[in-house]
Amino acid sequence: MISKTRINHHKKSGKFNLTYRNTWLLWCCQIINIASLSLAISSWMLAILALCLCWQALLINVKFNNKEKTLFSPILLTTFALSGCVAIAITASSLGVLLSMVHLLAFAYSLKAFEIKQRKDFYQLILLGLFLLASSLIFKQSLVFSIFIILALILNLVSLQQVFSPNKSLWASTKTVTLLLLQSSLLAIVLFVIFPRLSPFWQVPNAKSAQTGLSDEVSPGDIANLALSSDLAFRVDFKGSKIPRYSQLYWRAMTLEQYDGRKWFRTKTNKKNNLSKQPFKPLITGESIDYDVIVEPNYQFWLFGLTVATTTDPSLVLKQDYTIQSRNVLSQISHYKLKSYLQAPLEPIISDESKQRNLTINLGSNPRLEKLALTLKQKFPNPVDRSKAVLTFFREEQYFYTLKPPLLINNSLDQFFFDTKAGFCVHYASTYAYLMRAAGIPARVVTGYLGGEYNASSVPNSSQLTPQGGHLSVYQYDAHAWAEIWLAGIGWQRVDPTAAVDPQRVESGWSNALLAQQSLLNNDFVGLYQLKNIAWLNALRLQLDALDYQWTRWVLGYSNQQQYDLLTRWFGNNMPWKTGAIVLLSLIIMMILITLIYRINFKKLRRKKVSPWLQYYQQTLEKLTKKGLIKPMNMTPSCFAQQVALKFPKLSKDFFELTKNFECLSYQNLSISEQEILLVRLHNNYLKIKSNLD
Amino acid sequence: MQETIDAILQQIESVVLGKPHECRLALACILAQGHLLIEDLPGMGKTTLAHTLAETLNLSYQRTQFTSDLLPADVVGISIFNTNNQTFELHKGPIFNQVVLADEINRASPKTQSALLEAMEEKQVSIDGTTHPLPKPFFVIATQNPLFHAGTYPLPESQLDRFMMRISLGFPDVEAEKQILLSPIQQSRNGGGAAKKNRTESLIAMQNAIEQVHVSETIIEYIIALCHVSRGQNNTAKMNETENSLSCKPLSPRAGKSLLGAAKAWAFIDNRDYLLPDDVKAVFHAVCEHRLELTMQEQHTTITISEQILRVVDVLNPLNR
Repeated sequence: MISKTRINHHKKSGKFNLTYRNTWLLWCCQIINIASLSLAISSWMLAILALCLCWQALLINVKFNNKEKTLFSPILLTTFALSGCVAIAITASSLGVLLSMVHLLAFAYSLKAFEIKQRKDFYQLILLGLFLLASSLIFKQSLVFSIFIILALILNLVSLQQVFSPNKSLWASTKTVTLLLLQSSLLAIVLFVIFPRLSPFWQVPNAKSAQTGLSDEVSPGDIANLALSSDLAFRVDFKGSKIPRYSQLYWRAMTLEQYDGRKWFRTKTNKKNNLSKQPFKPLITGESIDYDVIVEPNYQFWLFGLTVATTTDPSLVLKQDYTIQSRNVLSQISHYKLKSYLQAPLEPIISDESKQRNLTINLGSNPRLEKLALTLKQKFPNPVDRSKAVLTFFREEQYFYTLKPPLLINNSLDQFFFDTKAGFCVHYASTYAYLMRAAGIPARVVTGYLGGEYNASSVPNSSQLTPQGGHLSVYQYDAHAWAEIWLAGIGWQRVDPTAAVDPQRVESGWSNALLAQQSLLNNDFVGLYQLKNIAWLNALRLQLDALDYQWTRWVLGYSNQQQYDLLTRWFGNNMPWKTGAIVLLSLIIMMILITLIYRINFKKLRRKKVSPWLQYYQQTLEKLTKKGLIKPMNMTPSCFAQQVALKFPKLSKDFFELTKNFECLSYQNLSISEQEILLVRLHNNYLKIKSNLD
Repeated sequence: MQETIDAILQQIESVVLGKPHECRLALACILAQGHLLIEDLPGMGKTTLAHTLAETLNLSYQRTQFTSDLLPADVVGISIFNTNNQTFELHKGPIFNQVVLADEINRASPKTQSALLEAMEEKQVSIDGTTHPLPKPFFVIATQNPLFHAGTYPLPESQLDRFMMRISLGFPDVEAEKQILLSPIQQSRNGGGAAKKNRTESLIAMQNAIEQVHVSETIIEYIIALCHVSRGQNNTAKMNETENSLSCKPLSPRAGKSLLGAAKAWAFIDNRDYLLPDDVKAVFHAVCEHRLELTMQEQHTTITISEQILRVVDVLNPLNR
């Protein structure tokens, strides 16, 4: 009696205790969940979270080893929580809305684990953990990371399952959870493909405050930093058309026409004029190349294309200076189609205003260069010869290409050209453009990327020698700057002075000497580039890259437009309401199918296997269940018959008979003819009971 | 045959008052050729039941009071040198009877208890290297006091397992107790003398008939499922996940066999030639509880382990297939 009341009391208080194993499992979950966000969370917050976890580990240790120590005090925890919140609030302005919210979430998550007193608290913790995992996908979506998230998800669900069945082995739980996830992933895939993609109600605030990639003004020294980064910039899919040679792959990002003596930047007025005017239509001649570009988020507007690029995509804007811009900030992976005409001329006729802009120099800022320009102008009346002379100068003098040039005072081009003679693409491009301008030829600097790494792994029948299909990965270290001069009758002509200094850079990528330099400057860089020397590792890397490419292209890049295209291809019409109706209808059908499958699974299928008499008996039981009398599974038929007699005296006679016949049929050794007779009787009993109950 | 059974039952019940279920169980145990262990407090009628059983069936029996200084030779017998004819003569012990009443078996030392082992399972004894067969039928009916009583040795598991059933009588109800108090002393011991018939042959006939009782596949699966639960194989039975797992010893296949045999005998007493799940449930506690119990474990709940096992197995679909 005493023990009974104690049990009841225990139940009422609803105390929720995790077992030793589950407590540690939950702790591991926390580590994994927080680790998934470690890219986004700042280091001081990570330190606080680590402190929380260590504290928890100590508490768990004390709790389960029955040590008489009190390491926990609510006051201390509250102070801790408050100070953490204050720290987040203080840094909120520099972190931005999204990041500070993520900080808060992670902090709350690790604090919640201190007060698991009820089942409810545990559920909250698990849910928070799942939310945390999902939010980490804002910052990174690569294939490997996604797999990691899925594994972490499984771990979280296992820890949830373990609480319900603590006797189950971890492996069994993992199997169950994985099976459930696989089953639900089917539905997820269908929803992913057909569920309408609503544009977000709120824009994800700039997650990365620091921009990666090119900026819209360039001074000598800028691209050198970029060249040390092995992040992916964008990928290009040539869709089976012939890929141009490496030295043709000048991906134009920005045209810089203004020079203030220190920096090159874009013409600001350009923007206004273009928006009011008719859309810019470039002259197009010659062969065209079709390709898709998938850009990694860079939180900027400009896109990359081979000049002259055209597009039919309404979300892109073609600019007067042959650059392409997106109408929205590239905050997530985006996908666009371009058609390029490599032979087409660029602006054969330009306005005086534009010509003047591209001739402007700050007189006196680099006197020695101006002097040289004047002598060149007198020596070579032909602009082409004048340009060639400068290139010859670069080629024959002791200039060399380096990522770590000596410091220039005030970015003086004079000093570079005449004294230090060491620099990289921006130095050469801007010096060249400056010289040309001083010598009376309109010139400008263009920034973008050069080349890219060709990967044929995604195409089965293709070799590196005859590039057909496959894709090109362009990394940040492929960033480049070159110059353009305007020649009457020809238009803008691309001139890359870097080619004169370090031809290998332009023909096939980084030379070994430069690589060595890069490795010295950035240790991370060593890995990727040195790996290229080991053949099988490189092949593996290319395979991984191809896989990641497919992931990016088909999963991350699956946009509104692609969904629309796919659905149009499937349903063959362009009417959105019809597509919507079909999608809705298929969803409904799917729901019905799922419910049907479940019903069949649990009732019909099981009934198929059992004997006919058991069917009758079970049907009778179902009828009685509806009337409120449930047969406990461990009760024998004869015992249950007595129960029925008590509750439904009216039925008792028939039910006793039914039970008797059922028992005879299922337990007695009967001949087939006897069975048949009894089965008929059983059927009659069943019908009587049925009519009686209905 | 049924009349014989009814007569025997009536006779036993007239002596052991107010315990029809236990009397039936004891009879079923004998009919299923199993050994019986009766456990209860002193003065509850254990010995009376054992005596009555042996007497009613009219089998040769001898009672042995087990004490702590009882030696194995006292049970099985001893060879003594006869000086008259210069040979060893075997003096057979009480075990050479059709029914052996081992009274208060747990008071004897484990050594003596073990002496019963061979006899119970092999139905033969070895004395001085010679094997002697025991008479047929052969039963051991043992009584014992609960384990917490002073001066008791717990029976080893191997020996417990050799007893088909362990029953306890419990206190009688008011009516039965009235009759017990009013009944004349020594009446029971001599009772039924007139009805004494040699029942050995009919007993063997009944045992053969019990062998013929039909067992359907569902019942076999039911018994298997019960064993599986005790072994912690949850996949077969629907165990309630939140319920604490059972802590018990696993049931051996021999236990399953005993369960089946006892259930068959029960069905036979019930005048049926087929087995119902009710029969299995009726004998399950008596047959299995002493095999499941953990000796030193304190029971927290009022529900016995056998009851807990019965609860989780589905009668209609035992293996959950």
